[in-house]
Amino acid sequence: MTVLDSLTSAFALPFMGRALMVLLVLSVAAGVIGVFINLRGLEFLSDGLTHAVFPGIAAGFVVGGRDGLYVGALIAAIAAAIVLTLLANRKVSSDATIAIVLTAMFSLGVIFVSRSSDFSGQLESLLFGHLLTVTATEVVITSVVAVVALLLMVVTFRGQLFLAFDRSAAHAAGYRPVVLNLTLNVAIALVVVAASSAVGNLLVLAVLIVPGAVARLAAGRLSLLFVISAGFAMLASWIGLAAAFGLSVSADVAIPGGATVVLVFVLGYLVVLGWRAVRPISSRSGPLRSSDSRASREPVDNHA
Amino acid sequence: MTFSTAPAVLQLSGAAFAYGADVALDGVTLTVHAGEALALIGPNGSGKSTFLKGVLGILPLTAGTLQIFGTDRTADTARSLGYLPQSDEVDPEFPVSLEQVVLMGRYRRLGWWRLPARADRAAAAEALRVTGLTALAKTRFGLLSGGQQQRGLLARALAANPRMLLLDEPFNGLDQPNRDALVETIRELKSHGVAVLITTHDLVLARDVCDTVLLVNGTQIAFGTLADVLTLENLQAAFSGVQVEVDEHTVVLPGHDGH
Repeated sequence: MTVLDSLTSAFALPFMGRALMVLLVLSVAAGVIGVFINLRGLEFLSDGLTHAVFPGIAAGFVVGGRDGLYVGALIAAIAAAIVLTLLANRKVSSDATIAIVLTAMFSLGVIFVSRSSDFSGQLESLLFGHLLTVTATEVVITSVVAVVALLLMVVTFRGQLFLAFDRSAAHAAGYRPVVLNLTLNVAIALVVVAASSAVGNLLVLAVLIVPGAVARLAAGRLSLLFVISAGFAMLASWIGLAAAFGLSVSADVAIPGGATVVLVFVLGYLVVLGWRAVRPISSRSGPLRSSDSRASREPVDNHA
Repeated sequence: MTFSTAPAVLQLSGAAFAYGADVALDGVTLTVHAGEALALIGPNGSGKSTFLKGVLGILPLTAGTLQIFGTDRTADTARSLGYLPQSDEVDPEFPVSLEQVVLMGRYRRLGWWRLPARADRAAAAEALRVTGLTALAKTRFGLLSGGQQQRGLLARALAANPRMLLLDEPFNGLDQPNRDALVETIRELKSHGVAVLITTHDLVLARDVCDTVLLVNGTQIAFGTLADVLTLENLQAAFSGVQVEVDEHTVVLPGHDGH
């Protein structure tokens, strides 16, 4: 079987079909949520959340095994989202808060996993996923968790958009930023939980962040951002999974599925970045988000 | 102090607003009536924006009383307020069209689910017309000039059909035609009974469109008509050696502290 064959025929195999199903569901949820992560500049907070959820996944795994890890993971996800939302609201530097929570929780997770019999094997599975051995139960649980995450964003869409654009005016209009932040953080944490079987705790960050960043590079219209973000994630997942399978079969080396998918995500990002750099200025739909465009503008009121 | 027989839309008595434990403005006692404009004047960091955010409910009232439209602040009163934040508070590269920004002014009426109806689109179109931006409705917000963005955010505030409009430094960075257009818009709103609260450093513009002045510097220095409030003594209390223009004369107050 060639690599090209694996783009289609490989998915007739049940384990490949399940792997693709999990990735497609994740792509839609992470694609939509990733746009808001990008618009709000919450990449580092998302990193913190992924690590903060880890001890829950680890504890759930130690107690309940692979299919049972979700209970612990969900509890940890919601707790982590609440803690990070409340801490970010206080005067402590938000980055310092996230870094402290991130390292502490991750260490706790590693200690939990160390209690299991096959420490290194299990740790690898939790960190990098086990895409090609995803069970039917995991497909169902992943789908339910991802759909709940997506629904949280759909229900609060207008508030999230207004808040991302203009926090003060959104607050003035009656939206409560802390509620909207908590909803977004819970949705991010749910995607982390949903992705734990497919790409694992470390690689999920790419699934959350790369599609939104690609969409932001490629489009200037809001409605297109969500379509491009989710569409890119689905396409990259399909190609990545097929590549991992094709290379494993043709070269007879076991290539990890999750890592290959993430590499294709990043390659896709680089391709779009290159395309932006070389295309004519007249066809550009909008400027890059410049992280220093806000920083360079001086605050007029220290309290603002 | 009463300047109008129109109903009071904003009443504060001994009001204080704080960021956490830090009181940013206190001792505010004033009344604004329908169709009146209040100028908020004071040095940078004196509590002008704090006052607006306190009225809007972004900052909590930590002392005194505050009534809007004769009642305590509620979700209903919030829907009748329009707010123009300082233009540097929004992300100019956000991927939305001007029309989408203006429709945000209708979001609270739409709730979470309802799609914009004809009335919502008509209100947005009218707000764009009043601000002279109809032709730019489909343009990306980030591609507009600074003055157009400012007018776009004003259109968003107007789309909510507010009974009280709160403008934070609305004249900053505007060229003369845009300033004149904004002054005209404020006058028209006042004639329709809308109350307007404006923070500004420009005393001449304040005199042109405002009926009353609140002078602050962390606390209320004075409230009343421009003539009553803008005395040398009050200005000395509020500013420390900053140049102030009064009646087209530049006054340099003593006690310059380098600001």
